[in-house]
Amino acid sequence: MLGKFFESLYLKVIVNIVVERSRTVVYIELCSKKGVVSAHQESFETLDINSTMLEFIRSYTNESPFSYISILDSSAEQGAIPTCSKNRLSYYHDLSACEYKCFDEKWITYTSKTDLYTIEKRYKEIGMDFIFSPFSILSNFFKDKVNGALGMYIVVQDNYLSLGIFENSELLFAEHLDMEHNADRDEISLSDEITQDDIELDMDKEIDLDDVEVLDDMEDLDSFGDIEDLDSIEEIAEFSENQDIEEEFYEAEEVLAESDEAHFNEDYQRFSLIKSSVGNFYSDKKYESQFIENIYIADGIGVSPDLKHYLEEEMFLNVYIRHVDLSAELCELSKMELGL
Amino acid sequence: MKYSYIKPRAKSVFTQEIQLILSFFTMTLVMLFLTYAFLLYKNYAFASDKKETLQERMALEISLEEMKEKIVFIEKQKMLSERVYTQNSVLKDSIANLFDLVPTRITLSKAQLLENGLILYGITPNKDVYNFMLQAPLRSIFHRTYSSFYPAQNGWLRFVSTNYLDKTEEESIDEN
Repeated sequence: MLGKFFESLYLKVIVNIVVERSRTVVYIELCSKKGVVSAHQESFETLDINSTMLEFIRSYTNESPFSYISILDSSAEQGAIPTCSKNRLSYYHDLSACEYKCFDEKWITYTSKTDLYTIEKRYKEIGMDFIFSPFSILSNFFKDKVNGALGMYIVVQDNYLSLGIFENSELLFAEHLDMEHNADRDEISLSDEITQDDIELDMDKEIDLDDVEVLDDMEDLDSFGDIEDLDSIEEIAEFSENQDIEEEFYEAEEVLAESDEAHFNEDYQRFSLIKSSVGNFYSDKKYESQFIENIYIADGIGVSPDLKHYLEEEMFLNVYIRHVDLSAELCELSKMELGL
Repeated sequence: MKYSYIKPRAKSVFTQEIQLILSFFTMTLVMLFLTYAFLLYKNYAFASDKKETLQERMALEISLEEMKEKIVFIEKQKMLSERVYTQNSVLKDSIANLFDLVPTRITLSKAQLLENGLILYGITPNKDVYNFMLQAPLRSIFHRTYSSFYPAQNGWLRFVSTNYLDKTEEESIDEN
């Protein structure tokens, strides 16, 4: 009772940390019972915690004893599984060294215990209160969509893609894709096979996706063989019926980042990873494969229109891109945890 | 914990600054209570002392009254003693005067002092000596004088002289 009273006297300081490829974004919200009092964002050119960042965070956390630090889990060993049943978990993934969280008794997100420990150790100077999975952000950000018809939802970060296929709030398939890790594994090495000149040349004459040799994974997909049949106008018209008009209006208001060389490389890589994951979804017998028509992208970095074009032209998907401020979304999750 | 992998750390309002402020206030309160307790004790001690002092004062007042009474009594005794002394002096002088009055030819055998009178027994050669040499001065002193004679064996006369002072005159003398 007394604790609640004291708690009401203080502002709640919510510190949200998102580690990107070469920098760390810190977003801080000061909240009272009535709402957000102030918000501050700063980015630091470090992947660890340095003195400037520590000073910035402490300048706010010292204002209130009720300060909460949250971070977006950047573990490569994370993912989501479409069941909460303990008996079936091992069917999808070995979770013996993982921490997991069940959502709505339908699906779980998991991450490596070692990575959680590493995060807590790395930020021991400020302490850590919440560690959120990008899949939590995914389901929360698209909460107005995931409870509807089948669709693929992706959170795009600097280094990672968190991809989930939902239908009526049920997760069917999920993958967390590490761009750097997968770039090595991928047969397509942009640095080796596609030279800078080639890219510039391609950019000038528009990319003919049929010429791009990224379809190795697709060879396994029998279902994609049928896609060629969809080239007729009638079939495409049928697709258009399934388009999300509301989302198109929403998307029209947002301006996508201009395409440049760096974006081209990365977006192409993202496209490859997404395509590979879709292939996995269709081919892997563990998952109940259904035909994906819509793909919703929560863009946390500012992807170029190329990604959308690739997906639309190569995979015949309706692509909707929403910009997402990952640190703000992280803050939303923290507030939901705190019941604010 | 709906979304997070870890539980938030327990938060307490008692930060180091708050602890410092609280300890400061606690010390201040303790000092205030100690001062208050000290003042209460001193107040109690003062009230107790006051009560004792009042009792002593009352005892002293009672004793003063007794002493005043004693003083009055002693003053009265002193006055009485002075009076007695004066009266004795007067009596002594009177007796001395009385014996001075007695001529050498008359011999007193007994003198009896009364409260308001004097009775003399003695022997005189004759009545004339008595009348002229003793009775005349006695009459000047006393208001009433009575004399009676009877003969002695050697031819002299034994006499009894009874002299009285009137009371009214005596009182007026006392008042003076």
